[in-house]
Amino acid sequence: MASDFGSSGLLIVGHGSTVNPDSSAPSLSHAAEIRRRGIFGDVQCCFWKEEPSMRDALLMFQEGGIKEVYVVPNFISEGYFTQTVIPRELELSGRTTERIDGQVWNFCEPVGNHRSMTELLLERAREVAPGVPESEMSLLIVGHGTNLNDNSAIAAKREVEAIRQLGRYAAVLNTYMEEAPLISDWAKLTTTPHVVVVPFFIADGLHSYEDIPVLLGIEAAPSGSASERQRAGEVFRHNPHHLHGRSLYYASAIGTDARFADVIVEQVESFARDQHSISDNFARGLVA
Amino acid sequence: MTESVPQQSRQSAADEWLRTLPCRIGQIFVDRTAEGAFALRHRDDVNREDLAVYRDAEAAVAIAQYDDAGVYRPLKTAPNLRHGWSLMLADVTAVRVALDLFYPGRIPAYVAWRRGTLKTTPLRETLERQTGMYRVTAKITDEQANELVGSFCRSDGGCLRTIRWDRDIQGAPPSTLLPETKFDPAHDQMGKGEPVIPLLCQEPCNLLVAEARKVVKGSAE
Repeated sequence: MASDFGSSGLLIVGHGSTVNPDSSAPSLSHAAEIRRRGIFGDVQCCFWKEEPSMRDALLMFQEGGIKEVYVVPNFISEGYFTQTVIPRELELSGRTTERIDGQVWNFCEPVGNHRSMTELLLERAREVAPGVPESEMSLLIVGHGTNLNDNSAIAAKREVEAIRQLGRYAAVLNTYMEEAPLISDWAKLTTTPHVVVVPFFIADGLHSYEDIPVLLGIEAAPSGSASERQRAGEVFRHNPHHLHGRSLYYASAIGTDARFADVIVEQVESFARDQHSISDNFARGLVA
Repeated sequence: MTESVPQQSRQSAADEWLRTLPCRIGQIFVDRTAEGAFALRHRDDVNREDLAVYRDAEAAVAIAQYDDAGVYRPLKTAPNLRHGWSLMLADVTAVRVALDLFYPGRIPAYVAWRRGTLKTTPLRETLERQTGMYRVTAKITDEQANELVGSFCRSDGGCLRTIRWDRDIQGAPPSTLLPETKFDPAHDQMGKGEPVIPLLCQEPCNLLVAEARKVVKGSAE
């Protein structure tokens, strides 16, 4: 790694939930992994719907001589949270904000913008349906759909286009929970014997663990959160599901992939590289 | 506004409380074992011998997630921390990680308070800042807010934090329904009358904001 982040703090911002403990689990687990690697002087999480809140995070990083804090939104796309809620709650005035005490807070891009999303989605599809020929498979990427200034649908479309261009799968389609093409129409949308569904979500929360299985028809009704099932020994789904004469493979949310810890670190490195190149250009007189 | 309390040296404020053991924070009892390790447990379990022992600070996530009845705890400072566990940790760093997971954000608030730099935000300011589905919370009346805070934040069954914020910029109390001790950092909110490290609340939490929305929406219907 080119940059030294020993005097830097990392703040992972997640959505969290007041009803589902699995919503914050990936952020906490990525934070623990990054903490173990000892890259940063301090690693913390904060949430919109859970503790610590973003307001609580304003009090963090006051010990250990932290000079810079990198804020990485653990969100699938730019949108209401990255553009309105996070800047407001964390009192960020732009990409870089200097606090009264001189500490600098850097606002990085959300994890879902990272170039490796495409490869991680492909990897998920391979893992959930090992040995199944891609030429006989339709890959459905499922997103939430339109929401308050939510660009997750755009991000999902971008990924689908990138995967489609590889020309490996018989079909690659965007689907949504609340708008057409609906994930509940998966059997009508596809013609291949094998169908793989990967949720383009950060966590195995209400949507990917409870709502989508019902929409797919592999479960009759929501039956408890992922951790509740885990406690009951039911966390592993029995892929493939045989429905409508096809084999249906359902993966867990993309954001639960342990490699998201790498993505978070790389969003910080990418920000630091940009900053350095801007300062280099200033030094060389290339930027007015 | 920033609270005025005696200044502490920046160096010692963070973990000085771990030098004087045993200590109590919220519902947790922290002590040192004969072997020099740190031992955390529920304050009600101080004399129990049958505790399940954990040795990883991150185990605090799972311990803090559900109450004794197995119900999810969205508010970690609610007085319903699960019983029956003991967390044995090798050093102060691990204790700090665990306490940050048990009581997210509370140690930084305590450290800031000890340094005299804890900035508090009145309820009205928090509500007026909201956008989207929570913008409507700014319409809550003083009477509704008084009742909501008096019920939602009460130490007995609500939340063990010590409130430091006011209702508005004029300094109106958060709720006249709460006892004076609810605002006193020296008071043991568990009601055991023991010396404690307070769980300080510098700004109304998002759960309270969500409840305010229900109150406003309910009164509009």
